[in-house]
Amino acid sequence: MQREEKQLEASLDALLSQVADLKNSLGSFICKLENEYGRLTWPSVLDSFALLSGQLNTLNKVLKHEKTPLFRNQVIIPLVLSPDRDEDLMRQTEGRVPVFSHEVVPDHLRTKPDPEVEEQEKQLTTDAARIGADAAQKQIQSLNKMCSNLLEKISKEERESESGGLRPNKQTFNPTDTNALVAAVAFGKGLSNWRPSGSSGPGQPGQPGAGTILAGTSGLQQVQMAGAPSQQQPMLSGVQMAQAGQPGKMPSGIKTNIKSASMHPYQRPSCLVFILAVPLRCKVKKLLGQEEKKNARLQLW
Amino acid sequence: MRKILSPRVRGYRQDFLKIAQVYPVPYLTGGSESSCVVFNLDTMEAPPVTMMPVTGGTINMMEYLLQGSVLDHSLESLIHRLRGLCDNMEPETFLDHEMVFLLKGQQASPFVLRARRSMDRAGAPWHLRYLGQPEMGDKNRHALVRNCVDIATSENLTDFLMEMGFRMDHEFVAKGHLFRKGIMKIMVYKIFRILVPGNTDSTEALSLSYLVELSVVAPAGQDVVSDDMKNFAEQLKPLVHLEKIDPKRLM
Repeated sequence: MQREEKQLEASLDALLSQVADLKNSLGSFICKLENEYGRLTWPSVLDSFALLSGQLNTLNKVLKHEKTPLFRNQVIIPLVLSPDRDEDLMRQTEGRVPVFSHEVVPDHLRTKPDPEVEEQEKQLTTDAARIGADAAQKQIQSLNKMCSNLLEKISKEERESESGGLRPNKQTFNPTDTNALVAAVAFGKGLSNWRPSGSSGPGQPGQPGAGTILAGTSGLQQVQMAGAPSQQQPMLSGVQMAQAGQPGKMPSGIKTNIKSASMHPYQRPSCLVFILAVPLRCKVKKLLGQEEKKNARLQLW
Repeated sequence: MRKILSPRVRGYRQDFLKIAQVYPVPYLTGGSESSCVVFNLDTMEAPPVTMMPVTGGTINMMEYLLQGSVLDHSLESLIHRLRGLCDNMEPETFLDHEMVFLLKGQQASPFVLRARRSMDRAGAPWHLRYLGQPEMGDKNRHALVRNCVDIATSENLTDFLMEMGFRMDHEFVAKGHLFRKGIMKIMVYKIFRILVPGNTDSTEALSLSYLVELSVVAPAGQDVVSDDMKNFAEQLKPLVHLEKIDPKRLM
């Protein structure tokens, strides 16, 4: 008994709070409709409806809860009816029911629907019974199918329109372009490069001259020298710089460079092209000494 | 018998080119120091070995790089976003002409140097850059890491390189915007192909996109830099996808 009473009270409290929430949201919805009628948008109305439906759902859940006793078994009997104002009742009902009198009671404590409504409901039930179980089942199924079809169509439409809306915004970059640009910067793919076929060592007269620089050097390479290096070649070798103070010792990087430059000449013994910086003959003689005049091949290494 | 030409030989002076004097350029390297070489033109003598740095005095600098691209029509929104995210400074545009030089040796892989000059800033030094092979292996590192040496040079750089035996492989013009955030440098530029070799006026755009590069030049071993870069790249996410792109994969 005690337990049931406690349960009843607890469930009543829960129900009360739910109903209060529902009332509030209904009230705000009505306010919204009345006041903001001009600038009300459909999504906003839908939001309110969604809120109401959510609250009704929770109310249903509370009612169905296992701990909730069947309210159907409870009966409310008015004990005292008086035409006087009842302050307590006023407070509890927030001023809506000031008097617990004969007018108020039939409305508030009613359990049956209105007579007209009752009539309609009776008619509906007789109609439904008349159709028969199978036909009814078929009708139910077709209704379900139509609803699901409609839902599918709506969701597909929504999905397509969403992606279509996003697509123009999304393409702010093109991965193919990224790759092309990176390749261009990294090793010149797509840029007109005139890397000569074969070795790119000196002595490639076929190079298209890009200004005086290349033309100058190619001209330079074509000069063939035999014997003493008497050619005046205006360019210097950076080797000198690295060689400073330590003749014979050189950073290996530079060494490789010069070696590569000197590769070609060995293939063409008559061409002493690898001489990069040689001044006048007299200087050379001074360097090499007279007896070495024969082997006047200057090699910088 | 071979004899080595001593640098002390006089008479080179008129044949000498002005040797590139190398000096540090903070804005190019993001604040790091570069090597310093001074060659005395008068006596044609280089200072003794102890003072002779090729890489002396500097730590191995690495370049951390993230790349992406943005289509032309989205450039404006990207620029706005970068202006908001990056350090507050006047929007800086640049127009550079870059030439890539190759030296083919006996080894299979040629030695690559990149020479860059500014076309819109008169008097700015030329910029010579060496970039090593990207360091692979560490999957956790979010950026491409490669060895990097930057120096500023005088204008006769191309002549010098030619005489050293380098040959120009390709060239292009880069035009775009430059932003900075701390040590990070963000460049958004368009690459133009040069139609007539040597003539930087006849150019055409390579593609309809701008290349976006986020780079940091920092001493080796500072991997925390790549985390910062990744965080910054996240902020540009829906507009640009900055990622580590391996150039070897695109060969």
